[in-house]
Amino acid sequence: MFLHYIDLGWRSLRRTPLVSFLMVLAIALGIGITMTSLSVYHMMSMDPIEHKSSRLFHPQLQTMDDGEDTWSEDNLPYQLTYQDAKNLAEAPFPQYKAAMLRTGFTVHLDNSEIRPFIQNTRVTHSDFFTLFDLSFIYGSAWTQEQADAASPVAVISEELNQKLFGGENSVGRQIYLDDTSFRIVGVIAPWETHMKFYDVNNGAFNSQESIYIPFSLIAAMDINTWGNSNGWKFQNIRSMKDKRQSEIFWLQFWVQLEDEAAVSQYGDYLMSYMAEQQKFGRFNREQLEYGLRDVNAWLDYRNVVSEDNEVLVALSFMFLAVCLANILGLLLAKFMRRAPEVGVRRALGASKRQVFLQHIIEVSMLGLIGGLMGIGIAQLGLWGVRLTQEYYSPLATMDLTMLLSAPVIAISACVIAGLYPAWLVCRTTPATYLKTQ
Amino acid sequence: MLEIKPIINALRRSKVGAILLLIQIAITTAIVSNAAFIIQDRMTYLQQETGYPEQDIFSITVMTYGKDRDLSQQFEEDEALLRNLPGVVDAALSNAVPLSGSGSASGMGLKPAPEPGRNVRAGYLFGDDHMLNTLGVELMEGRNFASDEVIVTQDPGKVPNVAIVSSTFALEAYPDGDGLGKLMYMGDKPFKIIGIVDKMKGPWLKDDRPDNVVIFPYIKAETYQHIIVRTEPGQRATVMQTVEDKLLAAYDKRVFTNVITLDENKRQYNASDTLMLRMLMVLIVVLVAITALGIFGLTLFNISKRTRQIGTRRALGARKSDIIRYFLVENTLICSGGLIIGCTAAVLMGQQLLQRFSLPALEFQYVAGTAIMVLVMTLVAVIFPARRAAQISPSVATRSI
Repeated sequence: MFLHYIDLGWRSLRRTPLVSFLMVLAIALGIGITMTSLSVYHMMSMDPIEHKSSRLFHPQLQTMDDGEDTWSEDNLPYQLTYQDAKNLAEAPFPQYKAAMLRTGFTVHLDNSEIRPFIQNTRVTHSDFFTLFDLSFIYGSAWTQEQADAASPVAVISEELNQKLFGGENSVGRQIYLDDTSFRIVGVIAPWETHMKFYDVNNGAFNSQESIYIPFSLIAAMDINTWGNSNGWKFQNIRSMKDKRQSEIFWLQFWVQLEDEAAVSQYGDYLMSYMAEQQKFGRFNREQLEYGLRDVNAWLDYRNVVSEDNEVLVALSFMFLAVCLANILGLLLAKFMRRAPEVGVRRALGASKRQVFLQHIIEVSMLGLIGGLMGIGIAQLGLWGVRLTQEYYSPLATMDLTMLLSAPVIAISACVIAGLYPAWLVCRTTPATYLKTQ
Repeated sequence: MLEIKPIINALRRSKVGAILLLIQIAITTAIVSNAAFIIQDRMTYLQQETGYPEQDIFSITVMTYGKDRDLSQQFEEDEALLRNLPGVVDAALSNAVPLSGSGSASGMGLKPAPEPGRNVRAGYLFGDDHMLNTLGVELMEGRNFASDEVIVTQDPGKVPNVAIVSSTFALEAYPDGDGLGKLMYMGDKPFKIIGIVDKMKGPWLKDDRPDNVVIFPYIKAETYQHIIVRTEPGQRATVMQTVEDKLLAAYDKRVFTNVITLDENKRQYNASDTLMLRMLMVLIVVLVAITALGIFGLTLFNISKRTRQIGTRRALGARKSDIIRYFLVENTLICSGGLIIGCTAAVLMGQQLLQRFSLPALEFQYVAGTAIMVLVMTLVAVIFPARRAAQISPSVATRSI
């Protein structure tokens, strides 16, 4: 019966090619435009580390004097000072934690084969790889001894390994970062996410760093950040040592907390830590305050999804509604014109339900064709997005979810639009039409 | 004369078509007026004057990893090399490139820290006495740096004692307009304002103070450094092609990246706004087309349903113009209803956007303009089907009776 309805639907669509074309065009445009903005939105708001995003937390400490302002909505600094990051990282609790910052070096092999190039580098603790579930193709993270000794060792990305060593096992090989020779201890597989969720300061959708080196090198090599530094009071900074001892916020910090109990325990720890620091006279506050947000709360807090995109998604769904109203009108015209034919069918014994179903299947077919064409239009739109905004290139694509939801949205939209016309046509009383035959 | 009453009666009998039209017109009005307003807002932002001859300026970023040369010395030589290239007007070392979205900013105090006093936020540039000429900006008051005021040093303790500021900054710091010759402080260090530039934008066009810029005559050559170059009009592309090789030939233990024009830098910084602009434009065009098509289709449908009725009217003596007028009036009635709902929705939507997002308040003329445009559009969409209806022969009415 279903196949028969499809056949009937197809015949009906072919009988009025212009109206069918207009309807398909309307749904295709509606879906195309909606999917373009929805795809970007979907990629932007996707959970970057689904299986453990609720167990990873970014602590924030309120270490400013009373009355000082920062940019965040709750007035907590986004980043940590070096001393706090270092102290928290050296604390016994919890098991996995890493402080980090972004810097960069000129990378070369001290030979003329490869022209030196600049590469972003993350300086962090070895727990970084555990926290964010990075898997090693070769080697492993650096050891605690190497970190303690501030050894020049590095973990590099698979992509960089490809570029420098043609993808072979490079553990033990040397690379030069500026004029310091580093020994490679590990090569990590590519990140599974397009989002640099662990450091959204300078663009959450830039690509991840290709080089990772131990945190202890910040002091040993006087490494400065390539990211943001935010101060709130005047301090005379003459050297990197001054900066490390200052109240400037310039590091990110992530911890892994397994359950509610661990979260509240860590919260208590942060409070007692701040109370202890306050005794050293670092800041002057009545009320101590901390922040502890998990990955998704953090991304929301940092407004990673651009407002423009949210506005566009809202507008494009309204646009889809206009397209639907359009289709509804056309369907109404089309179905009502067919009333005499339906009258005959009803007289020959077709039930209301069957007539209704037949018409719903016909509009679903419209939706399917429109949805598929809509994917084509969305691809065109996304191409335009990539062309205008290179930074969005990894975002302006449709993943499987989006590819599948395009026809689903299209079909459900069409069915909604088709309900009323189909209901109207199935109520046709056979007698009226039989009379004039 | 306009036969409004019979039209309304007829509409009552076929409500659905009219309601659908009404909904389409309402949503279209709401979307188009808000989108047009956002477009206008972004256009103004994107087309603003920056004060620089953007088409003649480019910048280079250089990262030096060799440690066998004195950086300050090397950059002095680089600057001399660049300034002597054919087609180059001037070149200057800088800590940041205007309009690029990356740079430094600080609160400039009117009192030395830690004395409490008002702070005025400004983006700042470090450069020598060639900076103004390189950026192509003109002094409105005061004078340029003298070459002996430029501090070239690696010692963070040595700082200059003068500064050139933008007029917007000068006015915010000294609202009476007497900023020239006055002091300002960065931390506890005093700087005398010796020159005021009429218009120049800082590194961030989206800063809350995009026009506040301060230039210090200070060269602290760093391993990561920018060089800004201004060329003769039309010479920029030629100069850009060879500049990297020439600088590398002078000293090769360094990497040049980002040889980029100022307008391209600005374009990249503003890419998301351009994107929004284009998406909204596409949305508006397609939306208007779809709505027009919808009205066209519905009117055709209405006419085909009423063929006999029209024929009867014609047979009873109605002129062709009466039929056309009938459809125009009917359409205008529906459209007015849709516009009333649409304008209300537009204003409500504007308020929502204002509350949730950092968008300015919707201006009323955008709603009014959109309403007029939608009305004209519906009339145009209806006139062709209406003329076709007028062609219906009176004999139709008599045929199948």
